[in-house]
This record gives sequence, structure tokens and C-alpha cells, in this order.
Amino acid sequence: MSKVASMFHPKRLDLSGFVNTRLIRDHNKRNAFAQMEPERQALRYIIRNTSLPQRTRAQAQLQLSQMHCYTRPTQIKNRCVASGTARSVFRNFRLNRFQFRMQALAGELPGVKKASW
Amino acid sequence: MFPSTTRSLIGASKRLWAPIPIRSLSTSSQSSAPSSEKAATTPQAKPETTATPVAPPTAEQPSELPVKEWSDRLGAFGEHARLPRSVQALYLRPLRRKAEHGLPVCDLQLRSYSVQNLEFFADFAIRAAYYLNLPVSGPVPLPRITERWTVTRSNFVHKKSKENFERITLRRLIQIKDGNPQAVEAWLAFLRKHAFYGVGMKANVWENESLDAGKALDASLPEVQKTVGPHLARFGQRQDSSVKETIFDSLDSERFAEPKNL
Repeated sequence: MSKVASMFHPKRLDLSGFVNTRLIRDHNKRNAFAQMEPERQALRYIIRNTSLPQRTRAQAQLQLSQMHCYTRPTQIKNRCVASGTARSVFRNFRLNRFQFRMQALAGELPGVKKASW
Repeated sequence: MFPSTTRSLIGASKRLWAPIPIRSLSTSSQSSAPSSEKAATTPQAKPETTATPVAPPTAEQPSELPVKEWSDRLGAFGEHARLPRSVQALYLRPLRRKAEHGLPVCDLQLRSYSVQNLEFFADFAIRAAYYLNLPVSGPVPLPRITERWTVTRSNFVHKKSKENFERITLRRLIQIKDGNPQAVEAWLAFLRKHAFYGVGMKANVWENESLDAGKALDASLPEVQKTVGPHLARFGQRQDSSVKETIFDSLDSERFAEPKNL
């Protein structure tokens, strides 16, 4: 398998809204992971299955380690959909803390109000 | 005196939420029977104002008028100008069927961020259940879900200045007791069709079977086999498959036997 990231690039940009190089890269990683997940899981199963011959398991280990890094789930990082920032992104809104504050004050997030207690 | 009565009527129409029939009523009172209207309101209004010496008599008069119960007000419309019964019912508490056995059949949970929407839709659901002949208990106010976030005010540094945000989810539980399962389904479908904005719904439905459920399953077996048959026919080995040996041959082979010797 050639180790080129461009093999996971779509022919056409399949993202809308705020777009960023890093956002596109993360999106490609997500797609690659989704596409290759069954293969990864099969290899992982073979590696952990003690009833299989040692040789098969070693081969599976090699194959898994030689898969492209984009197919790893650990490569995926949540990013803010409005600004592309990778830090302090709220899962509930998929927004960065600052974007969250701006949108909450603008009343764009349903139910979110300024709190005081 | 006359403007004061009209003002009170306007106030009533505001509270009614259905201003059209009320407006027509006020116009009719202006044209046909203003004297009777005056005669009806004045003796009630005057003793009130005299009884409370704190309020100034002239300016505060319309607000001092005694607020009647809805049943009285609707009755005062008279026979010739009454609202349709279905519309009248909207101003009264929703009617309910009585549960015979009290066996819960369906739990509907409503969620929203605003009280008005939630209360309105819960009321609507209860009324709909009455007309479908479903006994209802509720709406039970479930504990609110409060989510809070504390966020730095600025986008860069200034860590000490923060801002708090919260989102409170309000919940109501409506339980249906020993209703017909088809009626429950129809009720849920009706609520879905008329889903209100900003109100989420979640339903748990329970069905009760007789103790002979196993026999019923046995009886339905031939029909199930008929439907599953074409799918099952696709399973099995191909006729022209190159592998001649059975699964037991491959299991006994060296490759599978190897780890057992370890």
C-alpha cells in the first residue's frame, strides 16, 4: 500500500460552511477511518485470537501496522465547525468556547441563556 | 360608564386568546342591547368600589371589576351567542377518562426549553387522549435537566474574566393507562403529525400478551416459515464449489490442530 495521504482526498470538496485546510484534513481522516474500519477490526480480531496459528497472527500484526495512519481512529480530533479550532471544542455544539459564547449571546443556540445563580 | 365596559371587554378578549367571537359579541352589545349590558355591570361594579376605599373611584374602576369564573362568563353569553362546545371546552380543564385497571400502557415524555410550549402541548395531548378514549394520568413535571457552561469571555488570555451560560430542559410525563394498543398508536401518530415547535417527544410503549403467548407463537410458525423461506434458500454452499472437503476436514487439518499442541 502506498503511503500517500492524497489517496483519501475526495475528487471534489465535500464540505460546506466554514472550511479550513486542517478541517478538510480531519474530514478526510474520518472518511478514511470509516472506510477501512472493517478491515482494521478483522485484523485486530486475528491478532487477539489465541486459537489461530502464530504465523497468521504475526502477519496480521504486520498488516495492521502497515496500514495508512489516516485509517487510525486516534488521528481523529474534534474541531470547531465555525472556526476550525481544535482546542476546547464542546461536544454538544461542536463549537469552540469563543464561538459558543458569540452564538449563545446572539441567541442562535436554542435554550442557551446567560446564567446567574 | 360605557367606555369602561368596552375596556373591560377588550381585556377579556386578550385573556381569552380567541378574540373573534368576543369582538362580534361586543359589537352586538353596542348596537342592540347596550342598556341591558349597563344594567348588568353597574350594580356589581359599584359596591366593589365602595367596599375598597383605598382605590380611587374613577380611574381604577375597570380594573376593579370582579373577575368572573370562566363558566359564568361563558354562560353570560346567552343561548343565542354561545361558542361551540368544542371551543368552550378549551377554556375549561381537560376532560379525562377513568382508568379501569390502572395498567400503564404508554409513557410519553415531552421535553422543551420553554414552559409555554411544553404546557400547551401537554394540554393538547391530554385532550387528544380523551377523544381517543384513553385514560391519562399527568402531566407529571419531571426534574429539570440543567446544563451549565463557564466560558472565558475573551478569545485570548484574560483567564480570570468568565461568563456563565445554562440550558434548562423541562420535562413532562404523560402516562396512558389500560388503553387499546391501536388507539395508543393512533394517539402517538396524531401527536407526531401535529408536533409543536420546540417540543421533543419520547414514548415508551408496553404491550400485554395473554399467558398463552407460546402457543400463539407456535400457531404462527408456518406463516413465518413461508416468509423466511426464500431468504433461507440462499444460504449453503454453491453446487460448483471447488472445495470438496467438509468443515470437519478443515477443522482437523494441521493448521487448526497446531495451537492445541502448544
